Amino acid sequence: MTNTLLSLKKIVKSYQIKSETYHILKSLDIEIKRGDFVAIMGPSGSGKSTLLNIIGCLDSPSSGSYILEDKNVSRLSERELAVIRNIHIGFIFQNFNLISSLSVIDNVLLPSFYLGKENYKRAKELLESMGLSDRSAFKPNELSGGQKQRVAIARALMNNPSFLLADEPTGALDSKTGKEIMDLIVDLNTKQGKTILMVTHDPLIAKRAHSIIHLQDGKIVHE
Amino acid sequence: MNNITVVRKLFRLSWNALMANPMRSFLTTLGIIIGSLTIIIVVALGEGAKKNIEQQYSSMSVTTILINAPSTVDGAASKLSYTDVEPIKQLPSIETAIPQLSGRVQIQYDGQSSNLSVLGTTPNIQQLASLKLTKGRFFTEEENDTHEKVAVIGAIVAEELFGNRNADVIGKTITVGKKEFEVIGLLEYKGGSVGPTTIDDSIFTPYSSTYRYVLGINGRFNMNAQAKDVKLISQAVDEISKSLRETHKLKPGMNDDFRVRDMGTTVSAAVNSSRTMSVLLASVGIVVLLVGGIGIMNIMYVTVTERTKEIGIRKAIGAQSEYILFQFLFEAFILSLVGFLIGCILSFGVYFLLNNLEVSVVLVWWSYVLSFFTTVSIGIFFGWYPAHKAASLNPIDALRYE
Repeated sequence: MTNTLLSLKKIVKSYQIKSETYHILKSLDIEIKRGDFVAIMGPSGSGKSTLLNIIGCLDSPSSGSYILEDKNVSRLSERELAVIRNIHIGFIFQNFNLISSLSVIDNVLLPSFYLGKENYKRAKELLESMGLSDRSAFKPNELSGGQKQRVAIARALMNNPSFLLADEPTGALDSKTGKEIMDLIVDLNTKQGKTILMVTHDPLIAKRAHSIIHLQDGKIVHE
Repeated sequence: MNNITVVRKLFRLSWNALMANPMRSFLTTLGIIIGSLTIIIVVALGEGAKKNIEQQYSSMSVTTILINAPSTVDGAASKLSYTDVEPIKQLPSIETAIPQLSGRVQIQYDGQSSNLSVLGTTPNIQQLASLKLTKGRFFTEEENDTHEKVAVIGAIVAEELFGNRNADVIGKTITVGKKEFEVIGLLEYKGGSVGPTTIDDSIFTPYSSTYRYVLGINGRFNMNAQAKDVKLISQAVDEISKSLRETHKLKPGMNDDFRVRDMGTTVSAAVNSSRTMSVLLASVGIVVLLVGGIGIMNIMYVTVTERTKEIGIRKAIGAQSEYILFQFLFEAFILSLVGFLIGCILSFGVYFLLNNLEVSVVLVWWSYVLSFFTTVSIGIFFGWYPAHKAASLNPIDALRYE
C-alpha cells in the first residue's frame, strides 16, 4: 500500500453543446496522501463542482486518469462506480441529504445495506460517538441542523471509507454550530487519521485544512 | 446478509414509502381492488349459473326429448295434445313418452293453503325422471284410466302442507283446486326439475283426473319422450317431428306448431350462453384491472419525480441500480397485492350479499388464483417502467433536483 490515496493526472472534462466545446476542467493534476486534509476553493464556475463529482466518482472525466487506492477508476461503468462510492467514499453534503422517510439509525445503516452487510452495531457506535444515541429512532425532521449533519457524518463513516468528501459542510449551519461541525471534522482527521477533502468558499474554514487547492477557470491557480 | 434479507428490507422500504401517503396509496389501489373483486365475483356468478343449470336438468338423462308448443303460432292454438302421446310411444326409436299437463293451483290441507304446481302425467314419468319415493307408492296406469283422485307429492310440498319433508302423509286428503285428492306417495328430496316444473314443490296426479277435475284446458300441455339410445337421439327428434306434422295435418311449407328439443342440445345451449356471459364479464374485470394498472403507473411516475432527490442520495452512497429498481417495483407490487387482498376480503362480503338476495353464486379457488396472477402481473407490468426510470436517473442530476 503506497502512501498516495488518490491521484488525478491530466484530468479534462469538456462538454459538447452543438458545435461548441466547453472545457470545464483543463488538465488538472492532483495528488492526495493518506491522512491528508485538503480544502478546494474557487469561485462559482471555476469547475469546483465538476471536480468534486469526478473525485466523488459520480462522474467520469473526458480524459486523464484517476487512480484511487491503486485502481484506475476513470473508465469504470456506472455500476462499478456505485461500488467504489459505497466502499471508498463518505459523502458529507451542505444540505445533509438525509432520507426523510427513514429513521436516524436507518439513514446511518443505509451504506452498509447497499454493501450487502447491514452492521447495526457499528451504526449504534457511530451515533454514540456523535452524541446522538438517544435520537436513533427519530426522523431527520425532528433534529436540529447540527444534529442532522452529525447523522450525515455518521452515515459517511459507516463503511469505513478511504476518504471523506465534504461539500460545504457548514454552509447551511449558523456559525456556532458550523464551528462545532468543523471541530468534529478536524478531529476525525487528527484523532482517527481520516483523509478529508473539503470544498468550501469560506477562507476561514479552508484554513483549518493542511493544504488548499485554488481553482479558477478549470485550472489550479496555486496550491 | 443474504438475498432474502435484502428483499425483506427493500419490501419494508417500499411499504414505509407507501404508508407515508396512506390515502394516496389507497386511492391508487382502488382500481385494483375493484378489478380483482370483479374477476372473483364474475367467476362465482358463472359457476353459480352452471350449478343452477346442472341442478335444473340433473333429473333428466341426455336421451330425454322435450316436446312443447310455443305459446302462440301465428295466433292459432297448438294442436299438441294428449292424443299425440300414443303415436309417439310407437315410434321405433322411442323408449317411452309421457304427457305433462301443468299449472299452478291452490292446495289446502287442514287450514294450510298454498299455491303449488300440479303435474298431470302417466306413471312412466317415474322411470323417465328417475323419481324415488320415501313413502307410499306411485299411481298406476289403471288409476289413470279410471280418473282416480290420487296424488304423489314432492318433499317441499310435504314441508309446506304437513310441516316437514318426512311427515306422515299417506292416506291424508288434500284439496287440489276444488276436488279432494288422496295422498298415496311422498317423493325423495331431489333439487331438480322435469322440464319447466321443479320436482320438490310439485304434486303429481294422473293425467286424466288432472284434466277432468283440476286444470282442464287451462293447463299447459307438453310432452317428454325418451330415446332408446344416445345414438338414436337425432333420429328420434326427426321421427317425432314427422309424426306430429302428420297427426296435426300440416302441409309442406307450413311451420311446425310444436317444438322438439333434445336434452343434450338444450343443456349445452344453456351452458354455452352462461359461459359466454362469464367470458364477457371477466373481460370487463380485466379492463378494470388494466385501468387500475395505469393508475399505478401514473402514481409511480409522480412518486419517482417527487423522490428524485432521495434516489440521488441513495445512488451517491452506493446503491446499485437494481436496488432502486426493485424498491420502486416492490411499491407497485405491494399496491397491486394489497389491492388483490382487499378485493378477496370484499369478495366474501359480496358473496354473502348475493346469497341473501338469492342470486346463485359459487366461490371457486381458481378465480382467486386467476385474479392474483392477473393483478400482480398488471402491477409489475405497469410499475416496471417508472421503476426503470428511477433506476436509470443520473445521480448528479438527481442530487441537484429540488
